[in-house]
Amino acid sequence: MKNWMIETASRTALALALMGGLGTVALQAADVKSIAILAPEQGTDMGWNQQGVDAAKAAGAATGVEVVVAENLGYGDVRPTLRELGEEGASLLIAHASGYNTAAPEIGAELNIPVAIVDSPDKLSAGKVADYTASGHDGAYLAGRLAAKMSRTKVVGIVVSGEPPSWNNMSVAFAEGVKAENPAVEVRYAVIGPAAYSDAAGGKRVTETVIASGADVIFGQGNGSSFGMLQAVETTKATDGGKAYFIDVIGDKTSIDKGNLLSSVLWNLTPVYTAMIEDLKADKYGTRNYDIKLSDDSLSLLKTKNIPDDIWAQIEAIKADIISGKIVVEPKYDAESVRKLVKTVQ
Amino acid sequence: MALFTQSFIITLFLGAIAAGIPLLLAGLGEQLSEKTGVLNIGLEGMMLFGAYTGFLVAWSSDSLALGFVAGAAGGMVVAALMALLCVRLGLNQIVIGIALTLAAEGLTALLHFVQFSRTYPRLDGVPTLPLWPLSEIPFVGPILFNNNVVFYFAIVLVAVFAWVYRQTNLGIALQAAGDKPAALDAAGVDVTNTRTMAVLVTGALAGLGGAYMSIVVAGVFVPFMTHGNGFIAIVLAMLARGRPLWVLGGALLFGGSLSLTTALQVAGVDIPTDVIQMLPFAMVMLVLLVAGRKAALPVALGESFVRGSR
Repeated sequence: MKNWMIETASRTALALALMGGLGTVALQAADVKSIAILAPEQGTDMGWNQQGVDAAKAAGAATGVEVVVAENLGYGDVRPTLRELGEEGASLLIAHASGYNTAAPEIGAELNIPVAIVDSPDKLSAGKVADYTASGHDGAYLAGRLAAKMSRTKVVGIVVSGEPPSWNNMSVAFAEGVKAENPAVEVRYAVIGPAAYSDAAGGKRVTETVIASGADVIFGQGNGSSFGMLQAVETTKATDGGKAYFIDVIGDKTSIDKGNLLSSVLWNLTPVYTAMIEDLKADKYGTRNYDIKLSDDSLSLLKTKNIPDDIWAQIEAIKADIISGKIVVEPKYDAESVRKLVKTVQ
Repeated sequence: MALFTQSFIITLFLGAIAAGIPLLLAGLGEQLSEKTGVLNIGLEGMMLFGAYTGFLVAWSSDSLALGFVAGAAGGMVVAALMALLCVRLGLNQIVIGIALTLAAEGLTALLHFVQFSRTYPRLDGVPTLPLWPLSEIPFVGPILFNNNVVFYFAIVLVAVFAWVYRQTNLGIALQAAGDKPAALDAAGVDVTNTRTMAVLVTGALAGLGGAYMSIVVAGVFVPFMTHGNGFIAIVLAMLARGRPLWVLGGALLFGGSLSLTTALQVAGVDIPTDVIQMLPFAMVMLVLLVAGRKAALPVALGESFVRGSR
């Protein structure tokens, strides 16, 4: 009898504790006070890292949530940082690098904290994981149309510092845009190296080679390495003796341009992070992935002084066609699709 | 448009040299350190700090020469810590080397954030020094005899190191510091000082290699920009088995492989990029298999020297 009473009391206590715990989890899901973002490089790279950090801050300000920024973490193991931020009370861990998309779900599960990752849409899990592999393909397609219109040598280049899905997606769309504008324009493609995101020297070396192959417009995707690409177009003449141009992605380098920045496929992740916070508050996090698009200006093409007004007007018309659905650019995330569209040795 | 034009091929070769020279400089330095018994794992940190100090001084003084000197000095500062902690105090060379690399990565990223992260200043192209009449030789001239001064210095340095190792008492002393430090000590040569000087020279060369990357190759400094070149240089130094000419060959082989990967991609050869990009590393591994099996590293490599100990 005594044993039965003890056992019943224990089970009751355990049940109450579990209920309390569940209640706490439910309460935490709705009570979002702070989120954290982890970036591999400084949030001042006028590109991927800056966009992530700035957008997280803007989303936090818009929703009244504190944002903790951990930047310059490199591309190694970030589990200790994830664990530390989680233990400090972050209600969401935004792992802002494709290299973090294994560690973040692991630590998120360990600490029971939702995480946001990139380049892994298949890892969507209710209450736990959501992906924001931003599909900038519509913007990259516009950049391709622009490059083909502007090229004098009828050769354009794509230089990337890695092949994560989101960049493959933009490379494919850029090449499709070029071919749609003028099928005779050749597209040359080169990857700097495996995960060469900070390899500015490699960025310059490879871009110089692509320019020497005849390209006069370079579509560059890199973090720190993109400054090497920009340096290459500034210091290397195109094969026709004229100026080489650079089309950047994600950020806006207008403030440091020396006259070679043609455009940029601008991303704005603020709506993405804002939606994440709102979904967290509504206890709906992990039921969908997030994206950017031309129609709400979370994706756009930068207008610089190097683009003539008449060509810009044509680009605006193409943009309207994409938004209306008249032109459809299908996302393709694999590197194989990129290679199919670039020049092949006969 | 025709792809394999003369200017395209020359650009590929110049790219190979641009990628190879930092490896050559750092590799020669590492070889010197290892010869004296110091495994300098901190090479990456020395290169990175040299890349930063070199770029900073070149940009702020508008003098490339001062930039190269500052790059060497920056590498030497990190090497001085290595010498103090490992050679003088006898701490673990691998642990300290890794710590110095991590510290250099953090410090240079922080300094970059404070100084350059809003403006990203960039240097103009580095002038070349044509060696007339050799510079007029078709094809070869523009590649080998119309290059920048650091390239010529690095090539001359290979010959100097080879001469020192083979023909001088200093070379024998350096070898003894790594193979038989007790014998060198008994001969009246200070092992600790010998190793300290070797580590400092290593730092200067690695720093110069880093400065070459930021000033000549990239024209800009960004955090983490040495991108593992220091570790590749360590491998090259080990493969070279104490021979400077082999470091030169390995560095140019690696740089050439990088250029070849770019050429294959630009040509649109239908091979997965991952496979193409393995080429430089596969080359190094192949050389390791063929030549490295007989590699004999110094007997006392990685061991601290305590006078009187057995």
